[in-house]
Amino acid sequence: MRVNLKFTVILLLTCGLLLAAMCVGDSWINPLHMTALDHTVFLELRVPRVLVAFAVGGLLALAGAWFQVLLGNPLAEPYVLGVAGSAAVGAVTGLMLLPESVWAMSVGAFAGAWVGIAVVMTFSHLGPSRVLLVGVVLAAFWSAVLALLLTSLPEHGLGRALAWMMGDLSHSEIPVSILLLTWVAALGCGMLLSRSLDMLLLGERHAEALGVDVTSLRRRVLFMASAVTAVAVTAAGTIGFVGLVVPHLMRLIFGSLHRFVLPASAIGGGLLLAMADTVARTVIAPAELPVGVLTAIIGVPVFLYLILRRVS
Amino acid sequence: MNLLELKQVTLRRGGHTLCTNFSNVIITGRVTAIMGPNGTGKSSLLLALAGMIPVTGEIVLRGKLLNDYTRAEIAREIAWQGALPPTEFGLTVAQRLRLAGGEDQSGIVEPARLMETESFLDRSLGDLSSGERQRVELAALMLRDTPVWLLDEPSTHLDLHHQMACLNMLRRQAEHGRAIVVVLHDIQQAMRIADDVVLFDNRCHIEAGIATGMLTQNHLQTVFGVPLHPTSLLPEY
Repeated sequence: MRVNLKFTVILLLTCGLLLAAMCVGDSWINPLHMTALDHTVFLELRVPRVLVAFAVGGLLALAGAWFQVLLGNPLAEPYVLGVAGSAAVGAVTGLMLLPESVWAMSVGAFAGAWVGIAVVMTFSHLGPSRVLLVGVVLAAFWSAVLALLLTSLPEHGLGRALAWMMGDLSHSEIPVSILLLTWVAALGCGMLLSRSLDMLLLGERHAEALGVDVTSLRRRVLFMASAVTAVAVTAAGTIGFVGLVVPHLMRLIFGSLHRFVLPASAIGGGLLLAMADTVARTVIAPAELPVGVLTAIIGVPVFLYLILRRVS
Repeated sequence: MNLLELKQVTLRRGGHTLCTNFSNVIITGRVTAIMGPNGTGKSSLLLALAGMIPVTGEIVLRGKLLNDYTRAEIAREIAWQGALPPTEFGLTVAQRLRLAGGEDQSGIVEPARLMETESFLDRSLGDLSSGERQRVELAALMLRDTPVWLLDEPSTHLDLHHQMACLNMLRRQAEHGRAIVVVLHDIQQAMRIADDVVLFDNRCHIEAGIATGMLTQNHLQTVFGVPLHPTSLLPEY
């Protein structure tokens, strides 16, 4: 199937499924025949919730695609350099300082993520394997600090913190318009760098030989990937799997070139998270499942199927 | 014409000095072979000529310091081919070639044909043998229309037929006016294509000169420490 046709299919599928996700909940809403209450629920609850999930999933998948090529490692994902860990430390610190505030965790997470980014950027001049090593060490450090903080949280706070850490799209404090704008801006910046990123697939030396200023590219991509991770983590906590697997799924479908992989990941990641969140909020409604668990349950079989099909 | 000039260059890697105060010129239309034992600095010299690692001293490209060029400007003048690129992300052969030569699909056909890679253009690089990947890299190099080519052991992984094709291609490219600098281990290959030779030894010492003067039994025996046949220069086991 030609790339244009594949994109048309994924776009139509995304529009259809996002609309369906907005209609699904503890009660079905028919968008053509809405009561006043349906109208309110649809526009004020479901549409923002689905769009938040779409934007966050897209941002995580974009960050994953960037980290994978930047670090030359297919196992890289948005949390690999410890930004999620520092965000979690920030969120829990916010919760400890202002336990009654609804904003404390989000503000704390955002601040914490930027502390993590600042630390990572200090090491951005090192080669990919060393940056990865620094990231792993930093992630372990933030994890230890987080464990220390969690032991001193009261029970109520502990519950909120754990829910946030498993991914929670129900309390996003970042307006959906900001998230969608970030999605558009991140994808736009990524597309501008797509040919340089393609060259980076050949390794840093080959990319340099083809005229890429690798040091500058590495710094810019590291910053962009960390920044969108910070926004995504602030909006929805830590949601694993999307950033790791969606870029690989999209490479299997669209090939390796970033002018296809990046938009496909931004859309595909958004779609996967929106679908996972729809299942998470409906399957045991009115209670909700942790969305991060469902992203893995939905994504792993699809990924394994595509891998097996590719091998055969 | 002097394209690239090394002036009193001292090369260091990982705390070790590889050569000191080395001067030489790379001339249009000639093949310069860089030879010597492992770890003496041949590949590092190639990276320095491509502006990818810093040196003490000056490397001058067309009369201007290499350090004063941007990466994109250097890429328009100098092509570098080193170790095989990684294959984790599933680039196809055609995509690899287009990265070297622009988006024009028709442009990749002739180099692909010359390096006999046209039958697997749509295959992933990761599905190819090392020899096939090396041929893809040579085809990618042929798409780089730069006055200087730097190649690090281009015949590695290749069978005899493709080694010959590679060497003949380099010779032809030099005859068409390109300056070729190539790291080689095989003395016979150097004898076949090199006009000039840069010879590293194990004592941070480099010598450069015309191939016929450099590729002699005494010279090479001293550098490599193995007995060589006086005329064929093959090792005498």
